[in-house]
Amino acid sequence: MRRFACLVGLLVLLPGLALFAAPVKFSFWHIGTSPADRAYWQGLADQYQKMNPNVTIDVTVLENEAFKSKVTTLMQSGNPPDVFHSWGGGVMAEYAKAGLLRDITREVKSWGKLMAPGVLGVYASNGKQYGVPFDMGAVVFWYNKDILAKAGYRTFPTTWSDLLKLVGKLKGTGIVPIALGGGDKWPSHFYWTYLAVRLGGKAAFDGVLSGKGSFNDASFVKAGQMLLDLSKLGPFQEGFLAATYNDQAALMGNGKAAIELMGQWAPAVEASNAADKKGIGATLAMAPFPSVAGGAGAPSDVLGGGNGYAVGKSAPDAAVDFLKFITNRENNAALAATGEIIPTAIGADAALKDPQMKLVKGVVDKAGYYQLYLDQFFAPAVGGAINDGVQQILAGALTPAQAAASIQTTFEANK
Amino acid sequence: MTDTMTAAGRRTNLRLWRGARKAGFPTLVLLLGPALVLFTVFVVIPVAQAAVYSLYRWNGLGPLSTFRGLQNFAALARDTIFQKALWHNILIVIVSLVIEIPLALGVALIIGRSNFKLAVFFRTFFFMPYVLSEVITGILWQFIYHPQYGLIHSIAALLSPTSPAPVLLGNPRITLWAIMVVIIWKYFGFHMTILIAGLQDIPVELQEAARIDGASSGQVFRHVTLPLLRTTLQISMFFSIIGSFQVFDVVWAMGKGDPVNAAETMVTYLYKFGIQRFQIGYGSSVALTIFVICLAFSILYRKLVMREER
Amino acid sequence: MRVMAESRRRLVSSVFLYAACSVVTLIVVVPLYISILGGFKTMGQLVTQPMNIPLPLMASQYTDLLVGKVGFYWRALVNSSLVAALSVFFELALCACSAFALARLHFRLSSAIYNYFLLGLLFPLAVAVLPLYIQLRGLHLLDRYLGVVLPQVAFQIPLQVLLLRGFFKAIPTELEDASEIDGYGPLGFLWYMVLPLSTPILATSGVLTLVYSWNNFFLPLLVFNSEARFTLPMGVMAFQGVYASDWNLILGYLSLAMVPAIMIFVFAQKYIVAGLTGGAVKG
Repeated sequence: MRRFACLVGLLVLLPGLALFAAPVKFSFWHIGTSPADRAYWQGLADQYQKMNPNVTIDVTVLENEAFKSKVTTLMQSGNPPDVFHSWGGGVMAEYAKAGLLRDITREVKSWGKLMAPGVLGVYASNGKQYGVPFDMGAVVFWYNKDILAKAGYRTFPTTWSDLLKLVGKLKGTGIVPIALGGGDKWPSHFYWTYLAVRLGGKAAFDGVLSGKGSFNDASFVKAGQMLLDLSKLGPFQEGFLAATYNDQAALMGNGKAAIELMGQWAPAVEASNAADKKGIGATLAMAPFPSVAGGAGAPSDVLGGGNGYAVGKSAPDAAVDFLKFITNRENNAALAATGEIIPTAIGADAALKDPQMKLVKGVVDKAGYYQLYLDQFFAPAVGGAINDGVQQILAGALTPAQAAASIQTTFEANK
Repeated sequence: MTDTMTAAGRRTNLRLWRGARKAGFPTLVLLLGPALVLFTVFVVIPVAQAAVYSLYRWNGLGPLSTFRGLQNFAALARDTIFQKALWHNILIVIVSLVIEIPLALGVALIIGRSNFKLAVFFRTFFFMPYVLSEVITGILWQFIYHPQYGLIHSIAALLSPTSPAPVLLGNPRITLWAIMVVIIWKYFGFHMTILIAGLQDIPVELQEAARIDGASSGQVFRHVTLPLLRTTLQISMFFSIIGSFQVFDVVWAMGKGDPVNAAETMVTYLYKFGIQRFQIGYGSSVALTIFVICLAFSILYRKLVMREER
Repeated sequence: MRVMAESRRRLVSSVFLYAACSVVTLIVVVPLYISILGGFKTMGQLVTQPMNIPLPLMASQYTDLLVGKVGFYWRALVNSSLVAALSVFFELALCACSAFALARLHFRLSSAIYNYFLLGLLFPLAVAVLPLYIQLRGLHLLDRYLGVVLPQVAFQIPLQVLLLRGFFKAIPTELEDASEIDGYGPLGFLWYMVLPLSTPILATSGVLTLVYSWNNFFLPLLVFNSEARFTLPMGVMAFQGVYASDWNLILGYLSLAMVPAIMIFVFAQKYIVAGLTGGAVKG
């Protein structure tokens, strides 16, 4: 009898022991290609592996564009990585719909109050959680204080019409009023989207999604018209239609342009693209997107997004645990201290050193309505159509109404 | 000892390898098998699968979803951007035939002369761009054309410091032509080399004889050289045209066919609207269309232009 | 009198021809020259004085690249070389055998198989991307060198078979008769006579495959995940992604990436012309 009990006991313990000792391997794909980022993420992976010696993490680093095409192919072949970079939203939802992501709702709930629900929501779809963000910020105007001061502006314009006046003053001074990476297209779509947000507010976007409204509504068409009016002033640099975002950042970082509309990573990217690698430092300031006269949206509405990680369908539990590790307050704060992100973990924002970044966090916190960048919010086909449509408006190839119509057509075809 | 071994070895060889012209089935399998298998597995089967996908509306994730028959093709034919892309491909074909090949021929004629010194020197340089990867070429010329930092900008600044820098890749009206310059730069050396090879096959005596008979250089060229160069020219043009329909890497590396599809080609269209937008079925229909166009052209070309050797 | 005018005309036309060639050479070479020189400059120098030789030469930028402090040049170089060597080996082996069979052996399906191969000239790689990827995954070839080598070889088969078959067809039948008399069958004929005679065209074929493999970007992007396996074009793209506005560094990396290709080419170019001259083109 006793021997039998021992045997049973052993049989019960053995699997448990096996679980503890069983070697686990998972893949971790990120896009931090700069030496500092590389070191940061590798450091986290190494730390985790040290804390859990049975775990092996396969780290893959890819540059942004290469990452997008690689992940697309992986998804389409039904073979997602375990923990991989994601911008959330509609693209992630497509993957979820196809059953390629692991539902981690239960696990995340068990982590307690890690971050604000709205922030987590960007990485959820249909009520289920599929990933976790480590960075959620806002798109704001970044401007060179000195250049604006020379044009007679101590602070950034608070209305759109004032902004147009500023552009007029800056033209002809040898400085590019607004730097724009029109070749990459997504920097341009920020303008169109923000104008639509100001003009139509949350209602406009809800209308599109529910089908009660559409992209042909006045808010969207007028947004295109206002953007066209801006571009007619000639505010962008020569050849902006083929310029990359890096070109845009370099212009700002080298002090050759006055303004850019960009996300929270702008100061860091400006610095890395500047000739002196430092950028304009404290001369750079941020300002929220101006209000638009007669707009239905609130001036506190925000367009933004961030970065995070999603979990692939065959990821082991250790991978989910690793995700918890990298997004916890301590590690999130460490990354926040570098000034590259707006941290998501509650309490991590205390580590923000740069006053401008603190202001960005303020903008995010105050937002009544938070809209994720459209080219991530919608499915890839629609996002592509929006980016293309905005470029066509800027190039004068389509009228704002025509561009809106073509976006609506693509939207309907992909519902 | 060695002699016996060799004799025995040869006898074994004879048994296995006998019968030169009529080859046994095992020999054929050995010689053709590997290439056939590799070709079928990695080229033919994927393309056949792509043909199947083209009948569906599918985002590439999960199993094949909605069957749409030929609707993808109908949508393709109606799409103005695809029509633009096709037109751009045709333009590239025309430029290749009208500029690139005559350029290659002209250079080949100059260098191919037996008494041209430094022929090897020039030939090396002209062929060099072909050897560079498309990625490198794309980035290099992006730099040259860059409105803020590029070579063109620097030269323009020297020549007229006050006027703004010329915008090439960012100008929808110019960008396709700017890219064609790069295509010619990259590939003319390849065609030149083929043509030099063809030229060297022409017996010098024929040309000398014509000259002695009083023909001018132009007449020698038109009546002696050109006819004898015919096959080589046909081959050169064939590759040039097929290549023009399939051009992708250089165009993609220099702006992905944008802004506003000003430099869009059929393959960049496939990649953008098919793969990037998760419309795999649609993209596959583009692919099949390209294949059919190339096939039709190829059949027509062989029937009308090239004569099959006996 | 006529002779003098004739030789003067020859001189003028010679000068004109040399001048024309020199102009074309300049157009070809200037971009490469700018690139190599650019690696030695700072951004400021690059923008304001693109053509000048910078003083002092910032050789440190090149040495950083070579030493691997910045980017990963050597690893990419090794990967490119490995993939290229394997591709050339398999390509020559497979295509020489197939081209020989199609050129010299008589069997019913010969023409059909030849045309089957030729069809491969008609699709760009982009067509087959997704199915090919799934195929490779099923064969467990992802992130492996063979996963790039085998499809590369497959896609080059049409061109190389076309090239080699033409050359093999031109070998006189007397040689074939002679080898039969000596007691060799087709394989013996291939190994002992055809191949040794074909070194020029084999060299050409090898070089063309080498260039194709060396410059291939799309396929390695598809197959390789780990940076440790990136080939040179991927290395260039990744480098540009990180050092996006540092055009001087990018040009430096570009130049280093160009150098092996150009060296290979300079060494091999006489084979290319010799091979193409050998009548293969007519086939």
